[in-house]
Amino acid sequence: MNMSSLVWIGLFQALLVLLAAPLFSGFSRVLRAKMHSRRGPSIFQNYRDLSKLVRRQEVISDQAGWIFRITPYLVMAAMLLTAMIIPMITVQSPFGMVGDMIAVIYLFALPRFFISLSGLESGSTFGGIGARREMLVSVLVEPIILLALFVMALLAGTTNLGDITTKVASGGIPYYSAVWLGMLAFAFAAFIEMGKLPFDLSEAEQELQEGPLSEYSGRSLAILKWGIYLKQVVIVSLFLAVFLPFGSMASLSLPGLILAIFVFLLKATLFYFLVALFENTMARVQFLKVSTVTWVALGAAMLSFVFYLSSF
Amino acid sequence: MDPIQLLLFVVALDCIGAIASLFLNGREDIARLISGVTGGVASLVGVFSAGLVLFGGVSQPLIIPGPNPFGSLIFQMDSLSACIVCIICLLSAVTSLFSIPYLKEYSGRGVGTAGFFYNLFIASMILVVTVANAFYFLLFWELMTLTSYFLVIFEQDKEENVKAGYLYMLMAHAGTALIMLAFIIFFINTGSFNFSDFHQAQLSLPTRNLIFLLAFFGFGIKAGIVPFHIWLPRAHPAAPSHVSALLSGVMIKTAIYGIIRVSIDFLGSGSSWWGILVLTFGAISALLGVSYALVERDIKRLLAYSSVENIGIILMGTGVGMIGIATQHPVLGTLGLLAALYHLVNHAFFKGLLFLGSGSIVYRMQTKNMNAMGGLAGRMPWTGLAFLFGVLAVSAIPPFNGFVSEWFTFQAFFTAASSTLLVCKIFAPLFAVVLSITGAFAAMCFIKAYGSTFTGPARSPAAREAQEAPPVMVISMVVLAVIIVALGLGAPVVTPLIGNVAASLSSATQMNTAVGAQVFPLSTAQAVLSPPLMAILLVGLLIIPILIVAILGGSRAGQRRGVDPWTCGYVYTDQMSVSASSFDQPVLSTFRFLFILRVLIKKPLDAIASLSGRITSIILSAEPIIENMVTRPLERAVEYLGEHIRMLQMGDIRIYCLYIILTLAILLIAGIR
Repeated sequence: MNMSSLVWIGLFQALLVLLAAPLFSGFSRVLRAKMHSRRGPSIFQNYRDLSKLVRRQEVISDQAGWIFRITPYLVMAAMLLTAMIIPMITVQSPFGMVGDMIAVIYLFALPRFFISLSGLESGSTFGGIGARREMLVSVLVEPIILLALFVMALLAGTTNLGDITTKVASGGIPYYSAVWLGMLAFAFAAFIEMGKLPFDLSEAEQELQEGPLSEYSGRSLAILKWGIYLKQVVIVSLFLAVFLPFGSMASLSLPGLILAIFVFLLKATLFYFLVALFENTMARVQFLKVSTVTWVALGAAMLSFVFYLSSF
Repeated sequence: MDPIQLLLFVVALDCIGAIASLFLNGREDIARLISGVTGGVASLVGVFSAGLVLFGGVSQPLIIPGPNPFGSLIFQMDSLSACIVCIICLLSAVTSLFSIPYLKEYSGRGVGTAGFFYNLFIASMILVVTVANAFYFLLFWELMTLTSYFLVIFEQDKEENVKAGYLYMLMAHAGTALIMLAFIIFFINTGSFNFSDFHQAQLSLPTRNLIFLLAFFGFGIKAGIVPFHIWLPRAHPAAPSHVSALLSGVMIKTAIYGIIRVSIDFLGSGSSWWGILVLTFGAISALLGVSYALVERDIKRLLAYSSVENIGIILMGTGVGMIGIATQHPVLGTLGLLAALYHLVNHAFFKGLLFLGSGSIVYRMQTKNMNAMGGLAGRMPWTGLAFLFGVLAVSAIPPFNGFVSEWFTFQAFFTAASSTLLVCKIFAPLFAVVLSITGAFAAMCFIKAYGSTFTGPARSPAAREAQEAPPVMVISMVVLAVIIVALGLGAPVVTPLIGNVAASLSSATQMNTAVGAQVFPLSTAQAVLSPPLMAILLVGLLIIPILIVAILGGSRAGQRRGVDPWTCGYVYTDQMSVSASSFDQPVLSTFRFLFILRVLIKKPLDAIASLSGRITSIILSAEPIIENMVTRPLERAVEYLGEHIRMLQMGDIRIYCLYIILTLAILLIAGIR
């Protein structure tokens, strides 16, 4: 694929996840309601919420400064950029010239950094507590993501995401114990990054990811919420790109494109479905016990690394 | 003019500034100005001189023959020296500017003396990294320690500072002793103190191992690696902030320079366990340094602990480089050193900026306790903005410079892990994990630092009434912020320059590290990164959320300001916000094991502290003895003499005339004979 078509694909990917993100979140809300034996909202409820929020008056606290104001916009921009780098519908990284896997991991740190800072800046108690929780989780989850991806990069011999995806998709890396364990660890990390149980109750305001949101209102809240939906889809697509890239197109063609979009949405839906299953069948854990759970995932990532070592 | 001659001119200028400032101690306003301006101008010339070498100029060694058996005084600036000189001078140019208004804070307490030691300190650092003779190296090294010691104890009225200075002095000299031993072993084997002879020394393996260990731990103490870091978080914050910036920003880098000079340049990296040792100490320093920084509430001590962390990251890169060189993998060697040197440069500027920022805060607030700050971004907007840039860089947020150098460190680990060396294959990914944990901790730590000082409600009357720092101080911080941005976005320009330095050390042929707006770890197949493109896209993509708001009609909704944060319907009070010490509480309970070493180290530390007390008390108890045996008799003798000499002074002019004539007569007689 040539450069210009890759750029277009990158922009298309960003647009695709931007538009699909509220739908996926709506989907998990519906699933949740069904599992609670409730009727639940419509799957399109999130779009209505967002469009209504944008048109509401914004109330800004006394302490809030410009970091608080700019954060929602930065979060969305960073996630859109990540969506352009991660191979979703192709096996190549559309904006691979911007950065590799490590750059993507650090691009996930950018929104987290600003969300936490804005939580502190708002002066709100919930904001501050949410900020420190968010950062603690990041300390525990980032090494898992890094190690799981590092093993895949070692298997592929490169940290360029597109090359890893191409290798996995073309069968250059066989699925064996190291890959399966890495997949398990990363899926777990993605599960936590998405702000799901066992540490988070996504519908309660004073919790992890929503904590720093408690001072937001109106259009800022809409953009920030949208950014967080986007982050969930992007982390899922990173998982799919590295571990399950089948169905993505290798060369540009219209049927290939349509198929790839369809397969991508299907895979993501399946992932959301599994996440919802887990989310709603698990008990909640006290926040300070987070580390006992994440050690398990880090252990899985370590095992994946050990299997990688022993096979060579 | 040869760059090295230019550099000696810089040193001379610094000395002139130092002496002028000392003599003007009585006129403090002028002393401040003179010391700041000469320091700044000298440093700018130094930047130019180092730039000449970095951009491909050649510098001949300058030899000043000496009369002593230790050899001649030789100055030489290779690309490694030039790299360090460049950051020393660039940072000290800015801190000199900053010091002009900042020292007003210390008026009446010997500002001229501070200027004297400050200028000498800069000069000694430049001399340390350019001298090429072990004897003079130690001499200048000692000068650097002494001048910085006097700057650390500048605020002598606080007992804490004097204690910190004592600990610093003790540790620094323990380190110097080890370095001296290493050089003496070189001397025994080569019969010379010249670095050029060290370079060609044919040494047996055990000797090389011994020299490496002595040098690594000797310099390591000065660099502040864990567990020898205990002096650093006490001494660095005690000094005036523009000096803290230099101490943390560049002085500890001279120790890294020493490690690289001895173990890579002289000894050629020896065996691969050297690199692993450096790497391990680096990883431990990085992880523990940042976790101690996280629970700190004194803003300057937080920054000092973060220096321990960053020294760790630099040593991790150095360690990978040493393994690469030792095992004949020049690519790995170059990449590791590139990562280390890039981070070294970056850390100098962002830590310099953060210390200057904390200096501005302390200047206005008169406290270093972050729990008493809050909401300063509203009252000190420029300081806040500049500080935020430093925070983003130190937290390795893309596309800032801290991220770029950590990215290179990750790439070095990746190259090591995909090499054929078993030990690298096993350990490199694990060290990469340690680096990622460190990065996440650093982000948390600096969110706390920025969040509790600059945002939220003001937590003390001083914070409520704080004003923006004086313009000159603001300008110097903004200059550093611009340098940080340039080092990040300008990575495609900066990387090849530092890459050349690294390649010259690993004796690799020139290697490509940048093409167009992209940087890559020697091969584009492994990875590419384009910080400028990333920045452009990040800013450009801000349009999309703005467009969404515009299309959905959000701009008509308006906004309401000036309400209290939501507190479930209760009345909001400032105590409800999360303060510095409550922010780190979950980490303390989750990562309790990281703080064990702190408890372990406390005992020897207390022993050293009590030793200082004991020595003081011995000196104090010795005082009366000396007084009775020496001072008192002397005093009495002087008194007695005075009594009798007084008899000569009768107040009669004729007697005095007689004295004159008598003197003349005696002189005449003496002359004739």
